[in-house]
Amino acid sequence: MAENILVIGGGPAGLNAAVMLSELGVNVALVERDSFLGGNPKKFKYKFLFPDMQPADNVIGELIKKAEAGGSIKVYYSSEVSDFKENGKKFDVTLKSADGSETKTFDSVIVATGFEHFDPARDAKYSYQLFDDVIDIKDLERMMGENNFVRPSNGKPPKKVAFILCVGSRDRHVGNQYCSRVCCTVSVKQAIEMREHFPDCEAYIFYMDIRTYGFFEDLYWQAMEEHDVQIVKGRIAEITSGPDNTVICKGEDTLLRGPFEIPFDMVVLASGMEGGPQSPEMSSKLGIELDEHGFLKPENITLSPFKSSKAGIFLAGACTGPKAISDSITEGAAAAMNAYTYAVKNR
Amino acid sequence: MEYDENGVSIVPSEFKKEIFEEARKDFRYEEYVRGCLNCGVCTGGCPPHRFFDFSPRIVLQNMKSKDPELIWTMMDEYIWACFQCFTCAMICPFLNSPGGIIAVLREIAVRRGFESAKKVLKPYSRVLLKLTAYGNQLSPDMIQPDFFPDWGPHIGYASTDLAVKRKAIPMPTLQVTNLAWDVAPETMKELYDIFDEAGVFKIIESVDPSLYEIIQDIVDDVRSS
Repeated sequence: MAENILVIGGGPAGLNAAVMLSELGVNVALVERDSFLGGNPKKFKYKFLFPDMQPADNVIGELIKKAEAGGSIKVYYSSEVSDFKENGKKFDVTLKSADGSETKTFDSVIVATGFEHFDPARDAKYSYQLFDDVIDIKDLERMMGENNFVRPSNGKPPKKVAFILCVGSRDRHVGNQYCSRVCCTVSVKQAIEMREHFPDCEAYIFYMDIRTYGFFEDLYWQAMEEHDVQIVKGRIAEITSGPDNTVICKGEDTLLRGPFEIPFDMVVLASGMEGGPQSPEMSSKLGIELDEHGFLKPENITLSPFKSSKAGIFLAGACTGPKAISDSITEGAAAAMNAYTYAVKNR
Repeated sequence: MEYDENGVSIVPSEFKKEIFEEARKDFRYEEYVRGCLNCGVCTGGCPPHRFFDFSPRIVLQNMKSKDPELIWTMMDEYIWACFQCFTCAMICPFLNSPGGIIAVLREIAVRRGFESAKKVLKPYSRVLLKLTAYGNQLSPDMIQPDFFPDWGPHIGYASTDLAVKRKAIPMPTLQVTNLAWDVAPETMKELYDIFDEAGVFKIIESVDPSLYEIIQDIVDDVRSS
């Protein structure tokens, strides 16, 4: 008899876990809160992925296709875990959707509930939602995805755009002391993308540090050397409105200019990643630990980052902390292997 | 005191170290000085930074250097350029408070009667007098066009017929023009006890001895009444 494994969340990590398990012949129940698979990359229409600028569809689309191909994966769209009970070494789980609920017994569980983008309106100094031309990283990604890169205020193409890093990350005032890891690389990628498609538009990046870690560093050098992106050291203290329908970024260039006030047509805030309401929800429903940053806590951050604090429940992707899509996919596979081993051992 | 060949006083490094230790031992130090990665948000949002060679980021970096020489260089003019608006503390992602640590340094300068403190406090002697002798700050009769040109074009009108204008405010305690409000002698006596206990009078004595004498005359009068 085949094993039954529950995967919660249909983003990159959950999808890859489900696909790998189905290849092992496991019966997978894939629960997704939205009416579609693909998670945040699909929801916000990510267009190109760093570091090689391949279309997001090559990655996410491919995983969705495999998951939806039928086989041993059953997808529960617009559904949630409404009840969760331990049953010996197994789990009795009730899955609820608009069509009704269904209770099943699973041998093991993979939690891949992902992250939420930080809402920049929570940090008043950036004037997000106050000025139309202040947008954030996911808004720009969607604009690019829809081929509609114009100033929201007047529908005209911008001539000068600022990218502001560390919005909602590394800031004790908003309660997120951690680095969101990918926003530097995404912003640099977006600046390059913008310079390639709209060469008349100047790009500035304001940073505290540029954390394009590992090989992503290539992108940042490329941005300076090949795409003439201005990279200025100084975090923005305030965004105000300026003459001629501009938005002014005020800050200190701590290396060169000293204090500056530069008008831009558009400002893109690199809003970070948060555990969202789903992380504490999973923590209380499944009885697994939450960490001090609002993400789910792995049993051992180094030795077993894919194990939760409870045996039989495994973690994958951004639900344990900010990470890149490639890392989430890797963790999906790692969690699948561990969930499978646990299921087989306790058959 | 020692002087160099240009007649500039030489401050021994031991003394500078003592000043730094005094700041570091302040109970607020740990709370105000935390990590700093030179992001410049504090200075970017700092109002006096627009007008003076003053940067809250430099203040914090100097404190973090733990170098008594660097901290000493700020004691003369630098710390007095701050408006104490605390915008820096409001926006610092590390929750540092450059404004707060400046307050600590200023208190040291005042407590020790440094020349810089004397110079800066001199123009405030009228306010200090009202504050310490009567417990309130600005009084109507202090509003004069010569002193407050920045209050706008109506300052001339505002400074005339003060008693009549005060009558328009139907509050018995506001029918005075040499004070912001009429202060009861009991209140003043309590205030003097607090100032005594807190060492406020002592500080005034060290930064402005002549002002101290005037204040003491008033204090003695009130206490003996």
